[in-house]
Amino acid sequence: MAAQQTARDSRSGTRLRARIQRFLGRPGTADLTAYRRQLPRIAAREPQLRRLTDDGLTRAAAAAVDVVEICALGREAARRGLGERPFDVQLLGTLAMLDGRVAEMATGEGKTLSGALTAAGYALRGRSVQVWSVNDYLARRDAEWMRPVYDLLGVSVGSVGQASTAAERRAAYAAQVTYAPVSEAGFDVLRDRLRTDVSDLVTVAPDVVVVDEADSVLVDEAMVPLVLAGAASGADPDRETAELVRRMSLGVHYEVDEEGRTVQLTETGARTAEEALGGIDLYTAEHAETLSRINVALHAHALLARDVDYLVADGRIHLINESRGRVARLQRWPDGLHAAVEAKEGLAGSESGEILDSITVQALVGRYATVCGMTGTAVAVAEELRDFYRLEVAVVPPHRPCVREDEPDRLHVTAQAKEDAILAQVAATHATGRPVLIGTHDVAESERLAARLTRNGLGLQVLNAKNDAAEAAIVAEAGRLGAITVSTQMAGRGTDIRLGGTGGDPGPVAALGGLYVVGTARHPSSRLDQQLRGRAGRQGDPGGSVVFTSVEDVVAQHAPELAWVPADGPDGRITDPVAMRAMDHAQRIAEGVRREIHSNTWRYHTMLGDQRRIVLEHRDRVLRTDDALRDLEVSCADRVEELRSVCERDVLVRVARLIVLWHLDREWSDHLARVADLREGIHLRGLGRGMDPITEFHREIIALFDPLFDRVAERSEETFRAVPVTADGADLEGAGLTRPTATWTYLVQDNLFGNDIERALRGIGRFVRRAVRGDDPTDGD
Amino acid sequence: MFSAFARAFKTPDLRRKLLFTLLIMAFFRLGSFVPTPGVSYEAVKKCVNMVESSQDSNNLYQLVNLFSGGALLNISVFALGIMPYITASIIVQLLTVVIPRFETLKQEGQSGTAKLTQYTRYLTIGLAVLQSTTLVSVARSGNLFGNCPEKIVPNQGWTTIVIMVITMTAGTGLIMWLGELITERGIGNGMSLLIFTSIASGFPSSMWSIARQSEHGTETFIAVMVIGLAIVAAVIFVEQSQRRVPVQYAKRMIGRRMYGGTSTYIPIKVNMAGVIPVIFASSLLYLPSLLAQFQRGKQSAWAEWIDRYLTKGDHPIYMIIYFALIVFFTYFYVAITFNPDEVAENMKKYGGFIPGIRAGRPTADYLSYVLSRITLPGSLYLGIVSMIPLIAFVLINANQNFPFGGTSILIVVGVGLETVKQIEAQLQQRHYEGFLR
Repeated sequence: MAAQQTARDSRSGTRLRARIQRFLGRPGTADLTAYRRQLPRIAAREPQLRRLTDDGLTRAAAAAVDVVEICALGREAARRGLGERPFDVQLLGTLAMLDGRVAEMATGEGKTLSGALTAAGYALRGRSVQVWSVNDYLARRDAEWMRPVYDLLGVSVGSVGQASTAAERRAAYAAQVTYAPVSEAGFDVLRDRLRTDVSDLVTVAPDVVVVDEADSVLVDEAMVPLVLAGAASGADPDRETAELVRRMSLGVHYEVDEEGRTVQLTETGARTAEEALGGIDLYTAEHAETLSRINVALHAHALLARDVDYLVADGRIHLINESRGRVARLQRWPDGLHAAVEAKEGLAGSESGEILDSITVQALVGRYATVCGMTGTAVAVAEELRDFYRLEVAVVPPHRPCVREDEPDRLHVTAQAKEDAILAQVAATHATGRPVLIGTHDVAESERLAARLTRNGLGLQVLNAKNDAAEAAIVAEAGRLGAITVSTQMAGRGTDIRLGGTGGDPGPVAALGGLYVVGTARHPSSRLDQQLRGRAGRQGDPGGSVVFTSVEDVVAQHAPELAWVPADGPDGRITDPVAMRAMDHAQRIAEGVRREIHSNTWRYHTMLGDQRRIVLEHRDRVLRTDDALRDLEVSCADRVEELRSVCERDVLVRVARLIVLWHLDREWSDHLARVADLREGIHLRGLGRGMDPITEFHREIIALFDPLFDRVAERSEETFRAVPVTADGADLEGAGLTRPTATWTYLVQDNLFGNDIERALRGIGRFVRRAVRGDDPTDGD
Repeated sequence: MFSAFARAFKTPDLRRKLLFTLLIMAFFRLGSFVPTPGVSYEAVKKCVNMVESSQDSNNLYQLVNLFSGGALLNISVFALGIMPYITASIIVQLLTVVIPRFETLKQEGQSGTAKLTQYTRYLTIGLAVLQSTTLVSVARSGNLFGNCPEKIVPNQGWTTIVIMVITMTAGTGLIMWLGELITERGIGNGMSLLIFTSIASGFPSSMWSIARQSEHGTETFIAVMVIGLAIVAAVIFVEQSQRRVPVQYAKRMIGRRMYGGTSTYIPIKVNMAGVIPVIFASSLLYLPSLLAQFQRGKQSAWAEWIDRYLTKGDHPIYMIIYFALIVFFTYFYVAITFNPDEVAENMKKYGGFIPGIRAGRPTADYLSYVLSRITLPGSLYLGIVSMIPLIAFVLINANQNFPFGGTSILIVVGVGLETVKQIEAQLQQRHYEGFLR
């Protein structure tokens, strides 16, 4: 009772705050009043629509344009197709999304249905819609689950997964609504830019996208540019360098930084290498390539470990995805690192890669005329959504107020003390029969905890994301009486945990207090903690949550002052309120760092995105028209004349098109390589007073891009004059114009010195510390 | 530069930003003429004329008045100018090094920076109250203009005083807001542009006072204009000069790597320190004369010595000390801002090297070598530019905020270049606008 009272109070408090924030025009949250006004009108249509036959409903849908009519029809279709009549709040979500906003809806409120009605609504208005999910399983599940609703509304639906064939993809994208995991949607766009024939294209013109788990896709994933890479020629693994590096040892010949991210030769190491290579000087322009080879081999040798970072099977290297702990298909390391690892393992070289094209999630989203989305936690990223996507958040209230009790963190001195406390808490809670869900941060932690719990005689389920579908099924059962479930991070986004399990009786579990969620550390963002807590207390169910933290946690690195806080007692618990606040602060720093990375990725990609669009527009024209030949008719009239006698005009059109496309793709890939090269050292420009790296970067890439089209024309002309043409076309492969295929992704890393004021302050700080405290000047930077 | 402006005016979005900036600058100037209630405008005018004709004025005071665009001596509503805001932000910046709480706030990124900005604003208001109280009490006691007999504040009641303090504090608050408006919605850095406005606004009257001089006024004026333009051109040239130390990265193997493009380099500017050494030097030189003022009336040998050599800029001893201080502070500031060890370490970590130089210590040594070599002409340049107003003072009796030298020219050219760069950056971002649908 008291809890409900508090919940209501805090809710009205939130509303007031939201109103004030709206008044101040700050963090973009939209007003729901306009949407609420539509609800009675939607309800009024209901009795009439109930009387329609299924066919009648489909016919009525075909004629619907008004949002009220669309929502009323959607509600009726959901009632018939799924046996679920959407609540008012679900329709509020749909209305907000039809208005191009991001709807924040708590876990278990039926986002999937809201999203489906939104997609159907856009489709009924004649738009082409894509719905993006976070993984294959959810894309497929949602499409199948919602199919009855779409059928009743007369809207066609399809879904795309990693394993889909080109034909399946083409069919799925051609449907009015397409469900796809965001990475596949991106890769399909990238792959399409390698096609040389219109009929090979898979994707359709981008129009509307509904983003599920919008915070994860638009903010977390936005940092990772999707990269399309490939090459025709297989470079031989460099065994000599691998052998040279194998004889080197840590601390003598090379050193690794604290985070284990970079490795560098020491002076001794460099001398050793120089002697082995015949007394050359590595640090000259002439031997830079050799130095690169050694650096890459060293990286493979010192930073990548077999069975941790990769597996060797069937004579090939398979990458292991760090956060999920499983083999990542279609992924490779960039920039020759893959070949270096192959050399290290003595394997035959697979094809080595160069970047053909790359696109960020941001640029991908930018292609769509209308963007909307839904998630359980949007307000926390409202600023980013507004700054990067011009999206506003609409907070949809839950159908029933949330009564979950979120306990304050339990802070401990060491990770060991924390783990002991977790075990004790889980055992105590489990003894009552209350289901427990433990959210861990990585595979190793989940297995360690599971092993300790098992040793204590507790039966449990472990999930470390080996399979999305099985994962969802296990998570769905996590609400059973007496269940203990250990999962890795983000497990089960998109899956509901019903108390009592699927089809079970929720009563006894609810009486015990519902699902109890235990977090094993703070996430680098409070939003992710919120997601984990949100597993409990769905649709007004009772539930509880607590996060155990320790000074040794990753996030706590941002609060170094915690290291001096003593424990209260022998159990290693800290209850000092100042220390507890330090953890909040550390998390905010971690959030700031992430945001910084995001905005950097964004700033460095915007202009490249513009250039990419210009190239693509040109490419599309070449692909769909005979512009290529028309241009060549002007520049090499004699050659065209000569070839007319050899072959038909359409053969010539195709030859010209293939040549121009090849050179265009080649030049674009070269441009990307030059830009990547430039990007690597651009932060050094910041050292000049008043010089801004990003401005310098833009200036340089504009200069690099300007001559691109002229060069394409020139090279195409050369090829066109030289290549032998027969009645069937030209032998372009023979002329060295081979096309590559292969795809993988990787992350762009970033480092900046900061501006000169910051550097001055750091300099003064160092000086003060040295003078006053007698610290080592290299400390603390 | 002019082509950049022309192109900017052709872009609707940028045109709006430019016009907005100009509007704010105009409004800022307007406020510098509105007298604070309680001040006798007539009396102030007379006194200002008196002070400007006399030559007994010290450097820092001139500097402050210069930064407020003459508003200080006018005791206008904007008398305090942008200085409290600048001081506050410098203090807050420095505190981020000293106070752990500030340091942690800074690390938090956006939200933390917002909070620091908020603190800066509070501190600005605090400083404004302090400075306006000082100014009002000095004006009230009649000491503001030295020997001027006029009564500047006719009504000495405390309500008037309070209203004056409140008005000036509010004026500072308004200026702060104007500056932030420019930064947010206009072009360039609001703070810098407002200083720019203040300083530049003094140019016409200084030039006029040169032309108005009794003998050879017109000839001197023309000569000063010609030399002045040459100086501006030279300053722009030096400010843009840099030495590029090439850097190569050896971290990646690309199938068909392209060579020859040494687009990666460390830019080492001839003037790595900007205007800061000059401001440091003049502030430091002001201290002795401030100390000497306390000794006025008493017989004191050192105070007399200071009065004779360190108060007026026309004495060679003053000039030599000033010059030496600038050179020293240039080296000091460069040493603080550019840490060759840090740069070398960072380059090594990410696989970068200067061709022909080994990574690590040799690279750091090489960078220090290049840096110390290039700082010498840089510091001499700063010293010479700062000497110009002093020399002009001796030669043509120009008043001390002679426009073509010292801090004035360095700030005006610096802000000008920075703003043009920003406009260019904005134009760059829209580079492909016309090409895209």
